[in-house]
Amino acid sequence: MALINILEAVNKTLEQQMEKDPTVVVLGEDVGYEGGVFRATAGLQQKFGEERSFDTPLAEAGIIGTSIGMAINGLKPVAEIQFSGFMFPAYNQIATHVARYRNRSRGKYHLPMVIRMPYGGGIRALEHHSESLETLFAHIPGLKLVIPSTPYDAKGLLTAAIKDPDPVIFMEPKRIYRAFKQEVPDEEYIVPIGKAKLVKEGKDITVVAWGALVREVEKAIKLVEEDGISVELIDLRTIAPLDRETVIQSVQKTGRFLVVHEAVKSFGPGAELISIVNEKAFLSLEAPPTRLTGFDITVPLPKGEHHFIIDPQRIAYEIRKVVRY
Amino acid sequence: MLTKKFDPLKKKMLQILDQDGNIVDKTLEPNIPSELLLKMYRTMSLGKIADIKALQYQRQGRMLTYAPNRGQEAAQVGAMAPLENQDWLVLAFRELNAMLYKGVTLEQFFLYWYGNEAGSRFNDDVKVLPISVPIASQINHGAGLAMASKKLKKNEVVVAYVGDGGTSHGEFHEGLNFASVYDAPLIVIIQNNQWAISTPRLKQSKADTLAQKAIGYGMPGIQVDGNDVLAMYAAVKEAAERARSGEGPTLIEAVTYRLGPHTTSDDPTIYRTDEEVAMWAKRDPMIRFKKYLIDKKIWSDEQEEKLVEELSDYVNTTFKKVEESGLVSLEDVFNYTYEELTPQLKEQYEEYKAYLAKEGK
Amino acid sequence: MYDFKFADIGEGIHEGQILKWMFQVGDKVKEGDTLCLIETDKVNAEIPSPVSGVIKKLGGAVGDTIHVGNTLALIDDGSSAQPAKKDTAEAKPIQEGEENSAGVVGQIEVSSEVIESSTESYQKADVPTKRVLATPVARQLAKDLGVDINKVTGTGEMGRVTKEDIYKIKESTSKQSIAKEEPIVSKPISFKMPETTSADVTRVPITKIRKTIVKNMVISKSVIPHTTVMDELDVTNLVNFRTEQKELALSKGVKLTYMPFIIKAVVLALKDYPVFNSSFDHEKEEIIYKHFYNIGLAVDTPDGLIVPNIKHADRKSIIDVAKELQVLSEEANNRTIQLDKLQNGTFTITNYGIFGSTFGAPVIKHPEVAILGVGMIAKKPIVRNNEIVIADIMPLSLSIDHRIIDGGDAGRFMMRVKEYLTNPMLLLLS
Repeated sequence: MALINILEAVNKTLEQQMEKDPTVVVLGEDVGYEGGVFRATAGLQQKFGEERSFDTPLAEAGIIGTSIGMAINGLKPVAEIQFSGFMFPAYNQIATHVARYRNRSRGKYHLPMVIRMPYGGGIRALEHHSESLETLFAHIPGLKLVIPSTPYDAKGLLTAAIKDPDPVIFMEPKRIYRAFKQEVPDEEYIVPIGKAKLVKEGKDITVVAWGALVREVEKAIKLVEEDGISVELIDLRTIAPLDRETVIQSVQKTGRFLVVHEAVKSFGPGAELISIVNEKAFLSLEAPPTRLTGFDITVPLPKGEHHFIIDPQRIAYEIRKVVRY
Repeated sequence: MLTKKFDPLKKKMLQILDQDGNIVDKTLEPNIPSELLLKMYRTMSLGKIADIKALQYQRQGRMLTYAPNRGQEAAQVGAMAPLENQDWLVLAFRELNAMLYKGVTLEQFFLYWYGNEAGSRFNDDVKVLPISVPIASQINHGAGLAMASKKLKKNEVVVAYVGDGGTSHGEFHEGLNFASVYDAPLIVIIQNNQWAISTPRLKQSKADTLAQKAIGYGMPGIQVDGNDVLAMYAAVKEAAERARSGEGPTLIEAVTYRLGPHTTSDDPTIYRTDEEVAMWAKRDPMIRFKKYLIDKKIWSDEQEEKLVEELSDYVNTTFKKVEESGLVSLEDVFNYTYEELTPQLKEQYEEYKAYLAKEGK
Repeated sequence: MYDFKFADIGEGIHEGQILKWMFQVGDKVKEGDTLCLIETDKVNAEIPSPVSGVIKKLGGAVGDTIHVGNTLALIDDGSSAQPAKKDTAEAKPIQEGEENSAGVVGQIEVSSEVIESSTESYQKADVPTKRVLATPVARQLAKDLGVDINKVTGTGEMGRVTKEDIYKIKESTSKQSIAKEEPIVSKPISFKMPETTSADVTRVPITKIRKTIVKNMVISKSVIPHTTVMDELDVTNLVNFRTEQKELALSKGVKLTYMPFIIKAVVLALKDYPVFNSSFDHEKEEIIYKHFYNIGLAVDTPDGLIVPNIKHADRKSIIDVAKELQVLSEEANNRTIQLDKLQNGTFTITNYGIFGSTFGAPVIKHPEVAILGVGMIAKKPIVRNNEIVIADIMPLSLSIDHRIIDGGDAGRFMMRVKEYLTNPMLLLLS
């Protein structure tokens, strides 16, 4: 057991997987010698050498494009995009190739690769460092997308992603990179991709969240408990493919649904969840399924960021609204 | 070193067999065994006939949009011939002859252009990547293949194709840069056929040659007469040796010409002159190679006639087979998205199947 | 006093080691002067002083490790209050102690807070109980009709409760209410009583019977539009007749009162005017004519008013009715009366004459549509053949449900009753 935060969990997982599997390589801008701007890959080059953990030229399309070639030819690349806001130059490769190679070649080639990127706001940074772009990946068939909210899940999901024969996008909620520690087993284990976690059982309303907001919802739950509201909290963990069963079973029990996410509201992940709830739990609903999300705006710079960040008070307000419908 | 002797900055282009079929410099003539020469010629002939027939099929309404290769046979086969079995071929989309040489079956080739993904499922031992539609993005794939080969000590060389249009793309730049930084065993061949649909070569870049772009990446570049199968052979052979010895990538500009349209939906008479086409037709790689073989006494007009008949039948038979292959199954459309169907995919598939059953489809 | 905290000087470090102090406690320092040399993972950094002043305290000795966010030095710069933290605009910046930069941009919260271990192998109890399946529209309908949707058996797919299921439940409870005399009125009147001091009043809870009466009276008066017609009947003949027959009846063990005669007269009048023997289904807008005649009698008991009825009074003779009345009276007083005797009445007669009252405005017993109130028979002067004579006068008050019975009908009904009661021979002959 080790008491570590999410960043350390990522680091330890990479170390463990590189140890066990000599075909795992780590690449990206500044990941090698320096160990990454967040130190997620610290120590790997020192331990495994430059062939296994290396710095790339500043070229996201190149990072992902060459990862494709490497994945075809016997390696398991874990590529880092330094901030999710910079994934766009790589999006050409991601959408037109990473997602499709298996299908295009009818299974002759497949890409066991992982693309890691820190994402999300609340860190008072420059433009493009705070985006939540889940939908842009989840909407492309052939990709998988996971987002851990705890150190335990970070290690479990990253291990599963590295072992997955298909490409997995691993988005790390950087706001909580170092916000707390948790007991994480030293041995290898996986958290299955496509399985949500029932964080807390309750009976009045189902709340779904992921990433940094899981903790904010937990705080909100304490607030509404004072009003006698019992909340059932689900941490989605995998965005694509989404664990519909866990969500539906819960809504069939509680009859009420709220999804909370940082990403932009319109056409966001909440819309998908609400559609699923309508399709499969319509007859159990006491209130319209609701989403509490970021606004349809560009994430503000630090001085305006506080408007954008969803705090426990707002979550509690929304929960009460849905419960009292 | 050919790359040193034929410096693009000094406006030198490598040519060994001129358009009349005569050897320009005996010292440069590569020593290719006869069987190999004939294998090359047969492949180029098959490619040429398949290409001509594909155009015909399209005009007959039997083939969808097709991108012809006529005039570029040498740029492709000349490059494949010096490679080993374990070496890779990375495609753009106009490399029929290279594909045939590297083990892609004509049937698979036709299936692809016919609209069936099965055409990209090359046989297990065929080291060819599928056609890449996003222009130049395959250069990064090639660099990645080469990087992995180096790390895993597989002794593979990777040949990646791109067109003159593709050299303008960022992905071309990034891929070459990566390959160079890591000394990856990559050979990038630019099939400069002078036209990117209707855009002439000079509009793609102000540089005098595309080969000289190599300098920016710290690697050698060479301009080669792409219609000269012997020159292509020699240039790639040297580049492959460099790559295998760990010296890194090479950029080869094959100067050739797209005798046909960009695709069957294109009318080149709009943007280029008949005179230009006629001039380049005289430089047809097939003409000079045939003469070379006949001069070497390993080929004859009779053999040519027989070969043409044999290959024509083969092409027709193959295409008919492809025409009879029918539509892609519903299962195939779903089953290759991931290794296993996700619950969502399963459900969507089952629902649709149920619908089809109900409607008696 | 300026509390100079050790900040993340870049690239996500969270601690450093003090290599050298350039100043000691008590020294004067100028803004920008190098305070100390700190060693971190990445660099050996010179830390410049943010203010000019006098060093009051150093945050550690040479060789000590200092964490980001801890005090590096306290400098007396002449300011009284702590300088405000950089930005006041932000709502909730870093929460737990240490501040930390993200790699190159932004700031990430750093904390040693420990969260619960993951319980990946949580015990998921057997399938959580599902709630009743119903569309939001059906749920709303149930709410509107006052039906508890959880108690409705669904006939739809997967046991889904449909709107039809809800309507059916509603109907059957309404039907039962006719038998059980359930109210149609949905909302009971409720109002707040004015406050009284406890010394002035005594609060006594009411009995069950009284509760029933309360309910029934409220229903009757709120649902039925009452109107009352009254008349005085010259029952001299009836009085004489009864007096004559009293002894005869007594010999047969029957106490003969006026009531059996009145009952008989009413039944005959009901046969001529069947609407008085009906119920009104307001929702369906239908009059339910009854083919049986169960005449109810209001009985005053120690517990309160109850209304047992004589079943099929049309088939019974006056003597039979008289006998039955006696029995009912005993049972009522002994509180042994059976429930079925209180149910299914079609018309009620209330005799408040025994208390001395004359006319009244009796309350109809819902779901009946009329009630006849009988006052005290008394000798009164009347005009007969243009002469004043003394006659026995019986006051009658007939309340009717004005939704389906109008004044004309009431008058005519009353006339018919009057006919029989003023000429008892007619009664016997019918």
